[in-house]
Amino acid sequence: MHAIETEALTKHYTTGFWRPRPYPALDGLTLSVESGEVFGFLGPNGAGKTTTLKLLMQLIYPTSGRAEILGKPVGDIGVKQRIGYLPEQPYFYDYLTAEELLVYFASIFGERAAAARTRASELLDEVGIGAERRLQLRKFSKGMLQRVGIAQALINNPEVVFLDEPMSGLDPLGRREIRELILRLRGRGCTVFFSSHVLADAEALCSRVAVMANGRLSATGKLSDLVAFRVRGWELVISGLSDSVLEQAKRNGHVVRETKLGEGRYALELPLAPAPERTLAELIAQGAHLVSLNPLRDTLEDFFVRQVTASAPRVSDGLATKPEVA
Amino acid sequence: MRTIGLVAISVFRESVRDKILYSLVIFAVLMISTSYLIGQLTAGQDVKIIKDLGLASISIFGLLIAVFMGIGLVWKEMEKRSIYALLSKPIRRGEFVVGKYVGLVLTLFINLGLMTVAFYAVLAYMDLTTSADIRASWAAPATDIQMLRAVALIMVELMLVTAIALFFSTFSTPFLSAMLTIGLWVIGHFNDDLRNVGGYVKSSVAASIGKALYYVLPNFAAFDAKAQVVHAQAVPASYLVLTGVYGLVYVAFVLLGAVTIFSRRDFI
Amino acid sequence: MPRVGWLRIIALASLMAAVVGLQVVQAAHPPLPLPTDSGNMLYVRSPAFMKRAALSYDALVADIYWIRTVQHYGSTKLANDKKKQYDLLYPFLDLTTSLDPSFDIAYQFGAIFLAEPFPSGAGRPDQAIALLQKGLRMRPADWQLAQELGFVYYWWLVDNQSAGEWFNRAADMPGSPNWLRPLAAVTLAEGGNTATSRKLWTQVAETSEADWLRRQARFRLAQLDAMDEIDILTRAVQTYRARVGMLPHNWLELVRVGLLRGIPVDPDRHMLELNPETGKVTLAPDSPLNPLPDSEHRL
Repeated sequence: MHAIETEALTKHYTTGFWRPRPYPALDGLTLSVESGEVFGFLGPNGAGKTTTLKLLMQLIYPTSGRAEILGKPVGDIGVKQRIGYLPEQPYFYDYLTAEELLVYFASIFGERAAAARTRASELLDEVGIGAERRLQLRKFSKGMLQRVGIAQALINNPEVVFLDEPMSGLDPLGRREIRELILRLRGRGCTVFFSSHVLADAEALCSRVAVMANGRLSATGKLSDLVAFRVRGWELVISGLSDSVLEQAKRNGHVVRETKLGEGRYALELPLAPAPERTLAELIAQGAHLVSLNPLRDTLEDFFVRQVTASAPRVSDGLATKPEVA
Repeated sequence: MRTIGLVAISVFRESVRDKILYSLVIFAVLMISTSYLIGQLTAGQDVKIIKDLGLASISIFGLLIAVFMGIGLVWKEMEKRSIYALLSKPIRRGEFVVGKYVGLVLTLFINLGLMTVAFYAVLAYMDLTTSADIRASWAAPATDIQMLRAVALIMVELMLVTAIALFFSTFSTPFLSAMLTIGLWVIGHFNDDLRNVGGYVKSSVAASIGKALYYVLPNFAAFDAKAQVVHAQAVPASYLVLTGVYGLVYVAFVLLGAVTIFSRRDFI
Repeated sequence: MPRVGWLRIIALASLMAAVVGLQVVQAAHPPLPLPTDSGNMLYVRSPAFMKRAALSYDALVADIYWIRTVQHYGSTKLANDKKKQYDLLYPFLDLTTSLDPSFDIAYQFGAIFLAEPFPSGAGRPDQAIALLQKGLRMRPADWQLAQELGFVYYWWLVDNQSAGEWFNRAADMPGSPNWLRPLAAVTLAEGGNTATSRKLWTQVAETSEADWLRRQARFRLAQLDAMDEIDILTRAVQTYRARVGMLPHNWLELVRVGLLRGIPVDPDRHMLELNPETGKVTLAPDSPLNPLPDSEHRL
């Protein structure tokens, strides 16, 4: 049994008042996620990521296709006991405090008052909310709301967690904390399905990813399969380099391109051959100094941009342009 | 069931922290208190005026609370998206709607209770400060318990108004919901005229439509026993029961409609 | 969007059926009894208070009071209750005209129906005068108010002197019709005559916007016609006596002699009666035009 499974999941919205035309927010999504995976659901804005998540939460209903979580159709009440969800740009009840919100949600899962309070407290600690927990949510900043959102997604110790843009609104420290949290969740055997348009997070966390573009699944698989981790060149940061030496190296084909970082200071892209050590030795012999030498690999970003630009929207096949979604 | 109770309590908690609600209630209590002063403006009619004004205030302010809380109840959650997190929890959409309704009815009940207490307090004061021979001329005592029958009917009326406001709020904006709800309330008070449209208009099509509407639209005029209790006329228990059951059955109908619509809509 | 299941549809339909069924039961049951004096309550009688309470909606509130005035008059007039009274007529009119001093029809209504004796009106000419004088204080150049004042003195209080003075004052005011001056003169000189009365009532019958007023005016005019008719017949009877030497026994004798063309009837088609012993001509007792105004009230 997969943790999450969809088959030809499709959602069309109707736009246009006089001559309604369908707008495909999601078109025939088929994918599966195994238990214990951290799965990255990637794509630019408007690719259909949030639509997919809402379909999985049964906040909207599919036009066709099916989706299952933990072997049961989405919306199954028993399954909802075992999952958690962080919506995009979470907003909760203004007038409640963070503590009260978590206790409320915990009680919906059936926790008794005292147990609910303990659980709420633990979670607030885990996401890094301290004394602010007694403030009304209307006073919370975006980052703090995001943390509360993550806390409420975990309130029932879920087996599967769905996170829509979990890092949004967080500062670098916050991002690191949440990254570590997700790794801890993986350690506990939790399946994490998160959507993002920030690739660095996916690279750091995911075992498998799916890339969405324009409502369709563009590519899916293990990260290592999709992205060739071969080295395609070297990056050499060097100082004390004179223009003439640089020109010479370029003419020799030892340097592909350069970026000036300061007076005499350059970031050079070196080809695979000749070996970078030799080029470095030559430059040092002519008075330069080494700052750093690093291999250049294909990144997820390169892969991503290739995939997305390959699936640019087709304009003339009778489908509508994207409507203003509220 | 349990989840309905949880949602209801959260609605009640929200209302307690809602400043607008406070102002409405305070204003209502003020109105009832000043009715005492207004009573002094007319010769010999003061008790009647206090009773009339008091019951009217309870009715009107109750209506305002019912409509303005009812229309925002579901709409606000959908608009602000606080509903996303909640519905991902093990709670059915229908339970959510019914829970909201129960919470609002609870709020109404408490507020109505507060206003009624203020009402009787003013009347008790009137009673204490009036001489025995004037009191003897009153048709009914100042703190006549029978007036609670009119208040009970007002409560059922407001339960129906709330259900209707909630129903509209599952699919339309607050402004429109308010207009539609108040519109139905107004029409419901002219129910008798609907029945007798045939007497005013020559067209028989209009008469049939009028009659059909008379049977189908909520008959709010039936909940008005204010004039009767002020004049110490009996409101028979059978009337209370019949009208009460009518109100509750209509509430069930409207709520089922609201649940049906809410369960099937997309939250984009 | 998922379809609505059959069960749900049946449940909704059943509930609606129950609602309609209960409504049918409600309709069959007697409604709550309406308190007897409902609609007869006037909480606030002070025009000063009402003017403040109405904020900037004076005209609207005046309209509402006017509607209540007419309803009060109509429902009291048509009621069978022996104890009925027009006691709220003056307060309603006072409120209406205080809130909207240009409410001409209200003044006219008050002038006539406050003064008319019970059961057609309140029977309080003093209230009519008070109302009109209040109006004149607020609008001193309104000839209609002055003319109505004169009318009250003329018809109900039978005070020709005051009536004539008021008609003159009205004639002095801008915009007044040119029949007022001669009317004033006649009133001062001769006192009452049917031409004057007819003129005044015809004005009301032709120009008034209120149904009740036109009806009352036509009634009075019919009475005046009847009185003229009686005058003519009385002279015929006297002529007969002078010619024949005794009073006629019935109308036929007058017809035979050629003094009449047919059996006389009043404007309401009731036969007029001749008393053979006194020679008096009167209306049939069941004529709705009774009682005719006599000289105490007005010719």
